[in-house]
Order: sequence, then C-alpha cells, then structure tokens
Amino acid sequence: MISNSVFMHPATLFIIGALLLPLLKRVHISLQKVLLVVVPVLAIIQIYHLPESFGVTRYMGFDLIFGRVDKLTFVFLNVFTIMALIGSIYGLHVNESGQHIAAWLYVAGSLGVTLCGDYLTLFIFWELMAVASTFLVWYRKKKRSIEAGYRYLLVHMAGGLILLAGIFLRYKNVGIEGLRFEQIATNGATLADYLIMIGFMLNAAVPPIHAWLPDAYPEATVTGAVFMCAFTTKTAVYVLARAFPGFEILAIMGAVMTLYGVAYAVIENDARRILAYHIVSQVGYMVCGVGIGTAMAINGACAHAYAHILYKALLFMGVGAVLEMTGKSKLNELGGLYAKMPLALIFTVIGGISISGFPLTSGFISKSMIIAAAGEHHMVGIMVMLLAAAVGTFLSVGIKLPYFVWFGGKSTEECPVEAKDAPWNMNLGMAMAAFFCIALGFKGHLFGFNWLYDMLPTPVTWDPYTSYHLSETLQLLGFTGFGFYLMVKILKPKPYMSLDLDWFYRKGARVFMWIASKPIHAVNEFVDNVWKTIGIRITMLTARFFSWFDKEGIDWVIDGSAQSVVNGGDHLRQIETGKIQQYIGFAVALLFMVLIAVVLAV
Amino acid sequence: MMAKLITYLRDRAHILKYVFFAYLLFAIVFDYFAERHEPHFFGDTIIGFWSIFGTAVCLAMVVVFKGLYNNWLKQDEDYYDK
Repeated sequence: MISNSVFMHPATLFIIGALLLPLLKRVHISLQKVLLVVVPVLAIIQIYHLPESFGVTRYMGFDLIFGRVDKLTFVFLNVFTIMALIGSIYGLHVNESGQHIAAWLYVAGSLGVTLCGDYLTLFIFWELMAVASTFLVWYRKKKRSIEAGYRYLLVHMAGGLILLAGIFLRYKNVGIEGLRFEQIATNGATLADYLIMIGFMLNAAVPPIHAWLPDAYPEATVTGAVFMCAFTTKTAVYVLARAFPGFEILAIMGAVMTLYGVAYAVIENDARRILAYHIVSQVGYMVCGVGIGTAMAINGACAHAYAHILYKALLFMGVGAVLEMTGKSKLNELGGLYAKMPLALIFTVIGGISISGFPLTSGFISKSMIIAAAGEHHMVGIMVMLLAAAVGTFLSVGIKLPYFVWFGGKSTEECPVEAKDAPWNMNLGMAMAAFFCIALGFKGHLFGFNWLYDMLPTPVTWDPYTSYHLSETLQLLGFTGFGFYLMVKILKPKPYMSLDLDWFYRKGARVFMWIASKPIHAVNEFVDNVWKTIGIRITMLTARFFSWFDKEGIDWVIDGSAQSVVNGGDHLRQIETGKIQQYIGFAVALLFMVLIAVVLAV
Repeated sequence: MMAKLITYLRDRAHILKYVFFAYLLFAIVFDYFAERHEPHFFGDTIIGFWSIFGTAVCLAMVVVFKGLYNNWLKQDEDYYDK
C-alpha cells in the first residue's frame, strides 16, 4: 500500500529529483537546469503544508516517525529549503549530474533528520548526510580532495557509531520509549545520552572533534562547499536544541568554540579555510545558546542558525566565485581583484558585515540575542567570551578576508591573476543570499511583517535596536577596524598551513601503518615460517590419519553424504566471489530494499 | 560602474582614513548619550568601555594568535605529504 505520507516528506522530493536529474540531462541539458530550480521551490512551498505528524509506522516492533513538525522544526526546514534553492541556483552552471545528486541527497538527509521523531530514523538520515556530503568533496577530483574526503567519511562514520552506541544503550536502559527523539532532562542524563551528545557534537564540530570541518570543506567543490557549510553543522545544532537544551557543558564548549574558530581564522591563509574555521566559531554561538537553554537563548540559537546559513553560504559563494574564476583561494596569491570582480566583492562584504553583526544586517539581530541571553542568565564570563569572538569575527572575516582578496595593497595592475565577474547564476545565488542578510536585519519590519522573529519557537519580546546595544556594537566594530589598521602588516598572510588537532589522526595513521607494515608484518612472517616448517607437517600427519579414519570408518556408515557436501561447497564458491565491493553493493541494495519496503508500507 | 566607484574611493584612501577616525569619535560620543540597561557587569557602566575592549581584544588576538602561529602551528603546506 502506498500512502500519501511518502510524498508528504520533503526529502522524497529531493530524492526523486536527484534520480530524475541524469535522465532529464539525457533528454536536454536545460531540462536538468529547470528541475534544479523547480524541486527546491516545490519544497519551500511544501513545508508550509505539513501536518504536525505524519509517516508514523511500525517496523519489527519499533515505532518509526518520519515526520514531526513543530516551530523548532519549521524554522530549520524553512532555511534549509531556501538554502537548497540558493545553492542549486549557484550551481546551475555545473553540468555534471553527480554533483547535484550528491548535494540533493545531502539536503534530503538533512531534512530527514530535522523531521524525524525517533532515533532510528534519525540515524538512517544522519548516515545519508555523511555519505552524500563526502561525494561533494570527492567531486573536486584532486588528490587532496580524495584524501580529505576519506578522512571526512571515516571521522563521520566514527561519530555515527558513537551515536549508534548511545542509541542502543538508551534502548537497553529505557526500552522502546527511549528511542523517541525528545528533550532529555539535564538531571537524569546517563552515559547513553552523553554518547548521543558526543555523536551530535561531532557534527556540530565542537573542539576537540572539529578538525574534519576545516580539513574537508576547503577541499570540496566550489558549489559543494556552499551546501556543506549550510547543512551538517546546522542540522547538528537542531538536534542538540531538540535533545539537550540547558546542558551547561554545551554553553561552556560553545563559548570556547567561538574563540577557537576565530583564532585559526585570524592566522589562516586559505580563504575557504578561514571561512571553515569561522563555521566552528559561529556554530559555537548556537551551541552556547542551546547550552544556556532559556527560551531566549534557544530562540537566539535558532535565529542565529537561520541567519548564519545564509551569510556563511554567501561568503562561501563569494570566495567560491573567486576560486572558480581564478583557480586560487590562498590570500597570499590574490589581491587587487576589486576592479575585476566587483560584484563578488560587494556580496562578500555584505556577508562579512552580516557575520560581524553590523546594525541592519541579519547577524545583528541574531547573534546579539544569544549574547544578551547569556547576560540575562548571569553568565558574564561566557558573555565576554562571545563578545571577544565577535571582535575576532569582524577582524578575520569582515576585514581581513575581503581586504587581502580584493585589495591587499595591490592595485588592479598589480593583481596577480586574470579574472572577470562570475556567471549570472552565481551572482543570482549571491544576490538572493545577500537580500536575506539585509532584509532580516530590518527584522522584516520594512515589509510589514516580522519574518524571522515570528518563526522562532517561543514569542520574542526582545528588541535588538536599543540605543545601548547599538552603541556597544558601533564601538566594538569601529575599534576592531582600528586594531586592524594598526596591525595590518602583522596580519599579512603567508603561504603556510597551520597545525590543528587532525594532526593526531593524520600522523597517528602513519604510526598505525608503520606498526602494521613493520612489527606486525615481521611477526606475521615469523609465524608463517614456523607454520611452514612445523605446523604443516603436523597438520599433514593429522589429515592423513583423519582421511584414513574417514574412508574406513565414517563414509562406510553414512554412505554418500560426503559427496554431496563437496558438491554444495562448489556452489557456494561460485556465489562468494571474494570481491569486497560486490559485498558492499549487495548489502547496500538489500538495505535500500528494506527501507523502501518499510516506507511504502506506511 | 561598480569597479569605477571602488577605484575612485580607493584612490582617496587618505580621506577615508579621516572619515573613519571621525566615526570612531562619534561612536564614543554616541555611547555618552545611549540609554543604559541594568548593568550585567562593571563594563556596562563605563562610557567608552567597548571601545577599549574592542581595541584591546583585537590587538591581543593578533599578537597571541600570530605568536602561536609563528612559533608553533606554522608548517609547510605539504607538511602531511612529507
């Protein structure tokens, strides 16, 4: 029985769309482009028509809940679908269907996680996100990207396993009720809950398990990075806000994150890596908001996630446009682009001032809500850390990045690269994101309704446009600019990389390889030799004895059965080809068949 | 057109510098008139506190983080390939 609820799920739209893309491309390339716009638009419309609950099904005694919609879900669904549209438009010029398929399956995974109401469904979509996004890295098709993609996948698989361990343990402790994806009380959290939290925190890139993000995102394709910066970390913020509001550890970790990300953004040379580190920093605000846990802080975390997705995507698009047109993203290799790519400059600066929280931009109305919530909750230390991170944000992304890419003290004639403005679709994508960055900054009042604040989980009473808050922001940003003016020579980027905690597994893997190839291999050789000289003789002797016993004894009793076993073994040998890819293929196909059967049976 | 405007402004960077300093002065003066909420900590009561905070944090960040970078974190770009 096929029920409507399969088609009610917005993830289905993207999955079917992803399957249609290569078919339409065969007919005509422009059909693929049309579909790339139509599907996200349909999804944006669809999420307004979702019932509160749908797709609830029983499978092998488990309740699977594919759709659960409330205000917390909706604000994320809204921005995810808008982002899918912006990202798809930005990537319209890419003809390779595979890239779009990966991006859309990734979006589908993210929507699935946002909508699901139980941990098993969550886990399935969680893994879909991890696998699909890995392809966005691999499609760059450079050696570095392939390696970074493998590391990304391995880290996420490890995180997924920790999450799964938490889910299983929770199931064992609490029973079937424990699989429902609901808020966890701060005083009753057990090891199972903390394992789940660690799994979520890995995707939110909370240090010390953050290094996958600045490792992989800068190696992704230009359009892939735009998608990746929006979905993985913000889906993680959503699940944290759903399950773990008010856990103080998150408030502290979040505040540390904001400064950690900023520190690397100040010293990095690669423009996309600066932005990647800045995701760590900005997601820190959201994680902190979740950890503070008051209604205002959760509102702030949601608002900031909404604003962040749009301005961070805008920044990645701006820098991505430069990478697409010049082939370069390292600050020391750029500079003086202002006359060659002025549009990308304008858009990037809009993203930069939004992330820094300028008045009349989206960052001003969202970031400040979390900071104010920290202040009102009497967490002064955390509040000051968040404000310090705001200074670093403006320093590194607001000023340093645009300055060294588009100016860097170089005139147009001194610009080291050939470039012109990006194709129209990239500019359109950037213009849409830029529109939101500015429009949200007016709190929507300009258009007669309060767009973002009205969508938040609880009613907002707080007003960011007080004279003191304005004054605080004007001073902080102005004098950060002054600091940059004094320090511009020291900040000059250099062609080096900076070490991060991925050192442990990147160097650790070498130690592992060394141990495997030297000591373990040597022991293996030794044992092999011993076996050859002693073991085989003993085995042969025993075998001869048993062979004699078999012929003379057993087969005489049970006549003929030995022959049939030999035949059976031959058949089995033909099925087992010994190729690991085929095994994985069979397993995945089986998994998908089960999934489809379950979903269709709803 | 956009490119021309930016070039025009860039050629007058020395004037922009004074506009910027005037803005900084304005920010402090504005703070004097701003209506204050109930203070969360001592900084909320001092006029121009966030100016000092902004400058100090900015300089400290550059010095500390660049110091860490130059003395410890900085590696060749093919560090992991070696």
